Amino acid sequence: MSSPWIYAARRLLLAVPLLLGMSILVFGLMRLVPGDPAVVILGYKATPDGVRALREAWHLDEPLPHQYLRWLAGLLRGDFGLDFRQNEPIGRMILDRLPVTLELTLLAAAGTALIGIPLGLLGGAQRRGFADRATFAIGLVGVSIPDFWLGIMLILGLSLGAGLLPSGGFVPIAESPLENLQHLVLPALTLALSRAAVLGRLSRAAVLDVAQRGFVQFARAKGLAEHAVLFRHVLPNAAIPIVTVLGLQVGYMLGGAIVVEMIFTLPGVGRMTLDAVLERNYPVVQSTVLVIGAMFMLVNLATDILYGVIDPRVRRR
Amino acid sequence: MTRAWVPLVGLAIVGVLALAALLAPSLPLGSPTDISKDLALRGPTAAEPFGRDDLGRSVLSRVIHAYRISLGVAVTAALLAVLIGGPLGLVAGYAEGLPDQLIMRPLDVLMAFPAVLLAIALMSVFGTGAVLLASALAVVYTPVMARVVRAAVLATKVEVYVDGARALGATVPRLVLTHILPNAATPMLVQTSVLMAIGILIEAALSFLGVGVRPPTPSLGLMLADGRGFMLQAPWMVIFPGLAVMLAVLGFNMLADGLRDWLDPHQGAGR
Repeated sequence: MSSPWIYAARRLLLAVPLLLGMSILVFGLMRLVPGDPAVVILGYKATPDGVRALREAWHLDEPLPHQYLRWLAGLLRGDFGLDFRQNEPIGRMILDRLPVTLELTLLAAAGTALIGIPLGLLGGAQRRGFADRATFAIGLVGVSIPDFWLGIMLILGLSLGAGLLPSGGFVPIAESPLENLQHLVLPALTLALSRAAVLGRLSRAAVLDVAQRGFVQFARAKGLAEHAVLFRHVLPNAAIPIVTVLGLQVGYMLGGAIVVEMIFTLPGVGRMTLDAVLERNYPVVQSTVLVIGAMFMLVNLATDILYGVIDPRVRRR
Repeated sequence: MTRAWVPLVGLAIVGVLALAALLAPSLPLGSPTDISKDLALRGPTAAEPFGRDDLGRSVLSRVIHAYRISLGVAVTAALLAVLIGGPLGLVAGYAEGLPDQLIMRPLDVLMAFPAVLLAIALMSVFGTGAVLLASALAVVYTPVMARVVRAAVLATKVEVYVDGARALGATVPRLVLTHILPNAATPMLVQTSVLMAIGILIEAALSFLGVGVRPPTPSLGLMLADGRGFMLQAPWMVIFPGLAVMLAVLGFNMLADGLRDWLDPHQGAGR
């Protein structure tokens, strides 16, 4: 039980039924769409021939469990089926858009850590001081700002107003790393700011919590310099909750990315999902919702495992 | 308790907004729907502090009317989650074993999706509108509430006073209702407040994206979506509805935050 590897393996095994459950939910949900799925999928372009072809390709005449198993078997081979509107494999469409979403999320996570953790340390180091009060207020206001509104305000101020950064669009990193970054700064900042406020607040609480423990008081009592107390004793222990919260936030960013990609017209998986929802393109919705959901679940799982690896006490539960 | 004012301010914000929303039709405001082309895109004035939108409608009046939907959806969704998730968590926590597995494992699946994504997926299947949005949010919230209640029940039922009551011959309903459930009330109350804050954010986001409330209804998210097209000519069309969302969310967050410290002194140590 004590080995971190056994702990990690057990958590990974538990993820398998969860992923299966998620696929059943998504599949079932999309079959609840009222009307003939073939007609709904084809939309206004539906012709009798088209409907027949799609019924055959998606095996819509078979019983639901067969359809589900066929879809699942395809997924396991990496085959998400064909998007009937664009006539393109859905798997390739997702793969094309995934790097955008991942880059956005990683940049936003870096921003969250770089803004949030120093904010929390500043607040926690000086209890009841000005920085402490400011961290508290920023944390409370930060959680309450709607992402999409913050994005609009950043566009209004920094790109339309000051003309500093582009207000939307995307340039692949292979084409021009600088322009790629310029296009992602505002979206990443939009995702990062409110999460940084939350992380700052939690880091503050974590630092304050560790600072009152006995071993910290002992370190101080034996004459250790204040910076040594902070870096050698307080931070390593406070890091556990901070890393956990950061991990959970990376997961939430995947949800937030849907809105942010739409505002900044980034060609990511989130926007692909939303476009498909608005077009009632259910085969695509089914695939992207499952992919984003699975990523969210896996990020949370990774956080969980990391937590157990850092802190042996967790593994015993 | 140095920050005892926090929940009070939160309560005041929520109270004032709720009152304004309830009384919106009888307040001395312009009509939220009357179109007048002559007044289109007029900036803020003393009489119209939030300015007018592209169709000459009063932004202030629309914001206050939009709170009816915003708060209505958030409150309905949170209450539905309490009504559905509460009993589920109670049974799961009290019974443990098989019933616990049967209840919690499917709820885990719902929780494995990001809230916004699940809400969007539900809305894409069932259509748009305030009632459907509140129901979709209730589905998203139910597992959260069930977990909170289950955790409280699991922690409480091993207390000595529960054993004592059982030894004195208390029936299961009596045990649960008078000895165990009151201990779940605090975390439920805090969670309800948090869920209302998130509900306002998600309602605005989904309406903004076009998968929430339908257009004739005044909604803060829809106002932001409309205002985006006029950002430079009429920034007040995007500034005020956004601030309105933030104020309501802030109110519920302050309420939740203060309640947590107030009702649970153990956790307040580091705050």
